[in-house]
Formats: sequence, C-alpha cells, structure tokens
Amino acid sequence: MNTAARADYRRYLRLDMMPHILCPGCGHGIVLQAMLRAIWRLGLPQDQVAVVGGIGCSSRMVGYVDFCTLHTTHGRALPFATGLKLARPELTVLAIVGDGDGLAIGGNHLIHAARRNIDVTCLLLNNAIYGMTGGQVAPTTPTEMVSATTPGGALEPSFDSCKLLEAAGASFVARGLSSAPIDLEALIVQGIQHQGFSFLEVLSDCPTYYGRYNRLGEGPEMLQAQRRHVDWVAAPLADKAFVPGFADTAAVADVALQYGVLHRETRPELSEQVHRLIAASVGEGPT
Amino acid sequence: MEQGSILLVGVGGQGVVLASAIVADIALRCGFDVKQSEVHGMSQRGGVVTSHLRFGGQVHSPLIERGQVDVLVAFEWNEALRWLPQLRPGAPMIVNLQRQVPPGACRDRKSWRSGYPAVALDALARQVGDLRVCDALAIAGQAGSPKAANSALLGVLAPLLPFPESVWLDALRSHVPPATVTINERAFAAGRSLPFPEETRRHAGATRFSANGFHGRDESAPPRLEVIAVWCKGCDICVRACPTHVLALNAADKVAVVRPDACTGCRLCELLCPDFAIVVHDAEERAADLTAANHSGSEARG
Ligand code: SF4
Ligand code: SF4
Ligand code: SF4
Repeated sequence: MNTAARADYRRYLRLDMMPHILCPGCGHGIVLQAMLRAIWRLGLPQDQVAVVGGIGCSSRMVGYVDFCTLHTTHGRALPFATGLKLARPELTVLAIVGDGDGLAIGGNHLIHAARRNIDVTCLLLNNAIYGMTGGQVAPTTPTEMVSATTPGGALEPSFDSCKLLEAAGASFVARGLSSAPIDLEALIVQGIQHQGFSFLEVLSDCPTYYGRYNRLGEGPEMLQAQRRHVDWVAAPLADKAFVPGFADTAAVADVALQYGVLHRETRPELSEQVHRLIAASVGEGPT
Repeated sequence: MEQGSILLVGVGGQGVVLASAIVADIALRCGFDVKQSEVHGMSQRGGVVTSHLRFGGQVHSPLIERGQVDVLVAFEWNEALRWLPQLRPGAPMIVNLQRQVPPGACRDRKSWRSGYPAVALDALARQVGDLRVCDALAIAGQAGSPKAANSALLGVLAPLLPFPESVWLDALRSHVPPATVTINERAFAAGRSLPFPEETRRHAGATRFSANGFHGRDESAPPRLEVIAVWCKGCDICVRACPTHVLALNAADKVAVVRPDACTGCRLCELLCPDFAIVVHDAEERAADLTAANHSGSEARG
C-alpha cells in the first residue's frame, strides 16, 4: 500500500495516446485519475491489472491506461471480464461501463455478474445520458429532464442502480462522485480489495449533452451542483436531492441520494469456487 | 512504384470514401491487387473519416502500419495534424486547407471560441519532407462546384502514383454522379496542374514526430505546479476550484499559473482536472526526482 500524499498515477497513462478524446470539463477524466490513484495506492503491478471497457465515452478510458486492457462491445464489458477472471483468477479485473452501456443494453449482464458474485470491480459512470452517440435518453435520465430523444422532458422514472445491484446480489455496493475525488479514490480502493462483485456507481457529468440540453452550465457548474444534492451515508440525510448535474428544479427536489459504501457482505466468490471444483475433479482423475 | 500505401483522411461529407474508391478502382484497372478499409461514423466525436488503401502485386493486410504511409492525403487541416504520425518520414503529404471545427473543440459555446489548431504551415513543413498544400475548395468552386474538392485533391495525388492519366479520367467519370462529370473533370485537371516545384516542397526538417506535444516536464514552470498545456482543454474547473486563485485561463484558453506564491499545495486543481494537465509537486518529491534524474538520466516507467 502506497501512502505518499501525491499518488504517482501518471506512470499508468499511455502518454502517446494523450490528450484523451473526452470533451472539455467531462467528469470521466476525473474518475479515471481517481482509479489510477487507487491502483497506485494498492501497489498493484501493471501486468496484474486488467481493465475491461464496453462502448461509450466512459469505456474510452481503457484506451489511455497502460494495463492489460480489453475494449469490448456495447454492454458486454462484464461478460468479457467474467471470462477473464475465470480464466486468470490471479488478475485484478476492473470493468468500466457507462449508464446506458451497463444499465440498458448490458443490464442483464450487470445483474447476473452481481448474482454470481464474480470478483470483478465494476465502475458504472453515470452521466444520466448517452454521451457518445449524441445525448439520447438513458435509463438514468431523471424524469422531466431533456435529452435529444426527450425534447419535452423524460416521462419514465430512472433507475437507482445501487438499489438494483444490491437486490441482484452484489456483495459490495458504493456510490462515489466525480466532484469528490479523494472519497472516490478511497471507495475504489475498497472495491478492489473486496472479494466478490464490487459495484461502484460514480456520478459523472456530461456538459456537452446533459448539461447543455438542461441548461446546467459547463464542467465547473455541474461539479458544484453535484455537491449540493448528495449526502455522505454517514451523515444525517438532509433534504438534499441529487441527479448528475442537477440544478434546483422542483421536479426532483425530493429525491435524495446517498454516497459512500451502501452495502457490504461476505458470500462465496465464483472464480474461487470454480477453481476449487476444477481442482477436485482433476484430483479424481478421468472418468 | 510497385506497391503503395495511401491514407486518405477527412471529415464526414468531404467525399473521402468516394475518392478512395476511385483510386482503388484505378489500381484494379491497372492490374494491381488492392485492399481498402475505411472508418467512418462517430460524427459526434468530430466526424473523422479515414480510408486505408493499399495496392501491389499481392496485398495481405488492408491496414497500413503507423509510420508506413507512402502518401497521406488530408482533406482537412485538423485531420492532417491528427494523422501525421502515420506518414513515413520523408514521404509526400497533400493537405487541403479547409478547416472544419468539430463540436468537441468548441470551448465556450457562448462566444464559439474554439481550440481548433491554428494553421501553421511552416511548422508542418519542418516535419514533412514533401508537403503539397492547396485550397481544394476554392479550386473546385472555380471548376463549378465546391463539392468537387475531392476530385481536385485526386488531381494533386495523380502525379505521385504510377497510373496513366487516361485511367484516372475513366475511373473518375464512372464514379461521380453523371450530371457532375464535367465539373469533376475540370476540378481534377486544375488539381493536376498545380505546380509544386521541388525547391518549395523539400525541407530538410526534423522527421521525428510527436503525436501530442508531450515532451515531459516544463522546467520553466513554477516549481510546485507543473502544467501540461497541450493536454489542457480550458474547461475552467481548476481555475474555479482553486481556493487561492492561483490559476487562470490565458488567451489561448489554456491554464496559466498567475499567482504562484499563493499556492498552498492543496492539490484540488490536480484532483479535479479531467485532463491530467496539472501536477502539484511537493518539495521532497522534487528533491527525490532530482536525485533519481542525476542517477539514471531518465524516468523509469513501470
Ligand atoms: S459527450 Fe458527454 S460524457 Fe461524452 S466525453 Fe463529452 S461530456 Fe463526456
Ligand atoms: S494546489 Fe491548491 S492552491 Fe495550489 S493551485 Fe492547486 S488548487 Fe490552487
Ligand atoms: S481543469 Fe485541467 S483541463 Fe480544465 S482548465 Fe484546468 S488544467 Fe485545463
């Protein structure tokens, strides 16, 4: 465990690929830095870390890091990560998915990975919209908020992904914020250390689409708004509400979101069980 | 030229794919084996369109390796810079001076200031051995329609490839819409006849490319704060987050250290910068860095 105040995370960046493709002020870059700091803190060797991404702005992050990386198909980061963890259980496997990627097209994969309790750390970057494809409505877009496909405001309610994942069986569930990068780093460290499926919803910002459509300002304004509408789980839950980059509109004022570690339990982990079974069967010899 | 690898790059709507198809057809008509592979779409991310085209006796891979492009045809200025590292050192590069600012480069949507790279032909000429610049849009406009800019660029490309003029014209005629054949022929001829005298295009410049301008730490910056300006996107987050107003954006929309003495070393700017453009060093770390540098001469990665 590295303890120096300033993490030397830049060694993990693929300098030849920088600057990254993300828009000015996009919260995803802050999350990426927090993830690299967490990995540095844990002192994991680069060739023992695998980062798997799906499709979307968040999944672009795998292209800028010097670990073992897989850039997979839309919504399918977790199946790839599951296979990888089963085949190479010694690796530390992280999956980075977006809200559309993880909760819509890959929604089933997400809940089943949680149910199986495979030892993968899943970061779901929630910016409340489909960013890369042009700002379409996502399952996380709050009711009444505007997107390219809901110009009159979204009608459907949005997912609370942490509740969903806890119900599906994830043994570690946490929520972090791009506007609170030190807390976020600590949460990612705990997620990686946890044996079993660790799910972290990270509230991020998309100033280019979500911010622009909903007149929430640019990067700095959206980060500030984040802080106003959440509460650390340990603190008394005030009458605060959160949606990513949410400004004070009456529609969502009574929604309060907590951040921090929301759920933690110990339950058998899949890859360990599989390998125990393999060892036992090999011991018995061919039948 | 028994074989060739040509990379055509531009943005959506410029006719990159059509131009590439025409050259592929010409190479086929001349009896070469041809492989072509293109990437388009993702227009939300700036609309890059690229087409790899390889011809020869037998072509195995449709993709050209980095640094192995024999001719780079850039339909747009920003794309020219983006794909520069693909070019074989010393190989010719054709650049159309058209500029198309992608949405992602607009830093401030109120004033539409943008971070689009300035046209710097001298700097480019120092990196490219054989640079052929033209304003294809204007040439095509004179020929009858700005849409024929891709034909003008094919005209500039023609003398660099081993195909007879008549085959170029036949292929051009059969690919462009019938009503525009004359205009495209005129644009092609105008591009073909552009003079690129030897002495103006050969520059004995450096041929080592730097993809992103990152050359390590800027030693002229104040000791505590390291700013990598080429990575900064001018989002204003660090400027607004700094409790002691150390930072500001400069005229180029890059972060600048304006009150270095006021910096407390709190690291908020570094932690919140989405683009890894600020690093806050502490005194011990700098001392350790210097010792390491004196011992090894370079920073070890790993
Ligand atoms: S579109 Fe949105 S989420 Fe994607 S990079 Fe831009 S700001 Fe970030
Ligand atoms: S380290 Fe703190 S005080 Fe210094 S520039 Fe950054 S935010 Fe400002
Ligand atoms: S936060 Fe980073 S990208 Fe944004 S203005 Fe500051 S240095 Fe530039």
